[in-house]
Amino acid sequence: MSSQWSILFVDDDRDFLDAQAAYFGSRGHTVHTAESSREALDLLETTIPDIIFLDLMMEHYDSGFRLAYQIRKHEHLDRTPVVLLTGVARETGERFDQEGEGLPRWSRLDRFIDKPVTGKQLLSVAEELLAAKGDREA
Amino acid sequence: MATARILVIDDEYGVRSGIRQILEMEGYEVDEAATGTEALTLLHGGEYDVVFLDYRLPDIDGLTILQVIKQDALQLMTCMITAYANIDTAIAATRQGVDFFLPKPFLPDDLLGVAETLVRHKQARTEAERLRKEHEAGLLALAEEKTQTHSLISSLRDAVLVVNRDGDVVLVNRAMAAILDLPEFEAVHRPAADLLGESPLAPLVEQLAAPQKDRTIGQLSLGERSYMTSIVTFRDDDGQALGRILTLSDISQVRRLAMEKERFIRTMVHELKSPLGAVRSLIEVATDKSLGDNLDGYLPMLQRAEGRIDNLVQLIGDLLSLSRSEQAESQGEPELLEIEPAVTGALRLQAEKMAAKGIAAHADLEAGLPLVLVSSDDLDLIMSNLVGNAVKYNKDGGSVEVRARHVGEWVRIDVKDTGIGIAEENLGLVLTEFFREKRPETRDVEGSGLGLSIVKRLVERAGGRLELASTQGEGSTFSVLLPA
Repeated sequence: MSSQWSILFVDDDRDFLDAQAAYFGSRGHTVHTAESSREALDLLETTIPDIIFLDLMMEHYDSGFRLAYQIRKHEHLDRTPVVLLTGVARETGERFDQEGEGLPRWSRLDRFIDKPVTGKQLLSVAEELLAAKGDREA
Repeated sequence: MATARILVIDDEYGVRSGIRQILEMEGYEVDEAATGTEALTLLHGGEYDVVFLDYRLPDIDGLTILQVIKQDALQLMTCMITAYANIDTAIAATRQGVDFFLPKPFLPDDLLGVAETLVRHKQARTEAERLRKEHEAGLLALAEEKTQTHSLISSLRDAVLVVNRDGDVVLVNRAMAAILDLPEFEAVHRPAADLLGESPLAPLVEQLAAPQKDRTIGQLSLGERSYMTSIVTFRDDDGQALGRILTLSDISQVRRLAMEKERFIRTMVHELKSPLGAVRSLIEVATDKSLGDNLDGYLPMLQRAEGRIDNLVQLIGDLLSLSRSEQAESQGEPELLEIEPAVTGALRLQAEKMAAKGIAAHADLEAGLPLVLVSSDDLDLIMSNLVGNAVKYNKDGGSVEVRARHVGEWVRIDVKDTGIGIAEENLGLVLTEFFREKRPETRDVEGSGLGLSIVKRLVERAGGRLELASTQGEGSTFSVLLPA
C-alpha cells in the first residue's frame, strides 16, 4: 500500500509515542500524538486522522473507552477506524461486548490489541483496516 | 463407720457424764452442756450428728432449743431425754421436730441403741441430701448448658437453620431470622419449603430437601452481601439421617479483599507491561532503522530504553518492599533507635540530586529526643522514601526540611518540601498503591507509585501513623508519628 496516512496515537507513555512517531514517520506517514484524552479531543477539533490508536488505561482505567465514545460522537470521525490498545485485550473485549449492547456507537470500535505491541503489528493492522475502509467507500 | 459427734444437754452432772462415758466407750465424740445457753453456743459452733436433750433445763427449756434447731435448719437428729414424759410434752416436742424419746431412767444398751439408730438415720439423711443437691446441680447444669448452647447459636454471626428429618424447621438463630425477616419463634415448626420458598433463600429449598451429598457448599448473593452456604446432614449412631443444618456465612469481606487483590494484580501487570512495551518500541525504532543508518541518531531512544529498564528494576524492588511491609513482622528485629542516623543517611543519599537541583537541606532535630522502637531497615526505608520524594517533587532552588520533635507520647518527624504539592482532590489517593498524580509537573518524574504505600505500612507496623498536608504549587509536609 503506497498511500500516506495521517495517524493519531493517544497514549500516556511519551516513549511509546515517540517510538511510533519515528517508526511510522520513517515510512512517510503523518503521525499525531496526544498524551491525554483532553489533548486528543483538542487535536481532533482540527485534524481528521485516517486511523486512531488509543491506549485503554490513561487517566483512568477505562479512559480509552470513554475517549472512543467521545470520538464516535464526532460526525466527521464516524468512519475513522479506532483501535484500542490494552494490557488485557481478551478481558477488555469480553467486557466491552457485554456493556456495548446498550451503546451501539461503542460497538464500532474496530479492534483490540494486546500490549506490548510492535510498530510492525500496528502497521499491519492499519493496512488491513484502511484497506477494508477503502473497499467500503469505493 | 466415721465417728459421729454427739452433744449431751442435761443440767444434772451425773446423768450428763454417765451418758458421755457410755457413748465414748463406743467411739463417739461427745460434748456436754449443762445449761440451755451453753447448749446453743455449742450447737452453733460445731457440727453435731445427734443431740440428747433434757426437757427441763435451768435457763431455757428443751422445747425452745428444739425450736432453734428447727429454725436454723441444723442438720442433726434429736432425742429428748426426760423423766417427766407425758403425752403433752411428747406432742409439743414432736411438733418441734424431735426424732426420738428416751424416758429416764434408761439402760446403757437402750441409750446405745438409740444413738446408733439416730446416727445411721443422720447419715442416711446426709447422703440423701447430698444426692438431692447433686441431682439439682446436674439439672441446673443441664439447663444452663442448654441455655448456653441456645444463646451461642443465637448469637452466631453465621445464620443457622436446622430442619428435622421431616423437613420441618426446628431451630432458627437470630442472624437467620434477620435474613428471613421474621421473629425466631415464628420460624420453628413450619415446613422449611414453605418458610424458605418465599424468602431470598428460595434457591436453597431443593438442596435442603434432597442434598446430593452429606455436605453441600454453595454461594449466594443477597443484596450487597455474599454468603457461603453449607448444608450438612447430621446422623445418629446408626447412620440414620436426623435432619439437616443450613448455615450461611457472610463472606462479603473476604470477597472484597479478593477483589482488591485482583485489582492490585491487574494494576501491577499494567505497570510492568507499560515500560516493557515502551522499551520494545524504542528498540524497534533501532532494529527497523527508522532513523537511517547513522547509529548516533538512535542514542537518545536507547538511553530512554535504559532509563525505563532501570525504573522497572526499581519498581520490582518496591513491589518486594511492599509485599514485605504487608507482613505483620518486619524482617529486622525492632530495636530502640535514635532518629538521627536514619535522617542523616536519607539526606546523604539525596545529596547529589539536591546539589543538581540547587535544593537546600536542613535537619532540625530536637535535642534529647526519645528513642523509637522500630527495625533499623524499616526506619531507613521510611526516611529515604520521604526525603527522596521531597527532592523528587521539589522545584529547582527549593528546600527540604526534616524536623523532629517530642510531642506528647509521640516522636513526630516532619519532612517538608517546597515542591509542586498535591492537588486537594488527590490528597486521599496518594497513599494508594500505584497512584501517581498526572500533571504536567509530574510528567518527567519517575516513580512506581508505591513509595508512600510502603511508608504508610511500615509506620503503622511500628505502631505509628503517617499524616500529610499539602498545598498544590507550594509544597507538602509528610509527618511520621512514632510511639516515643
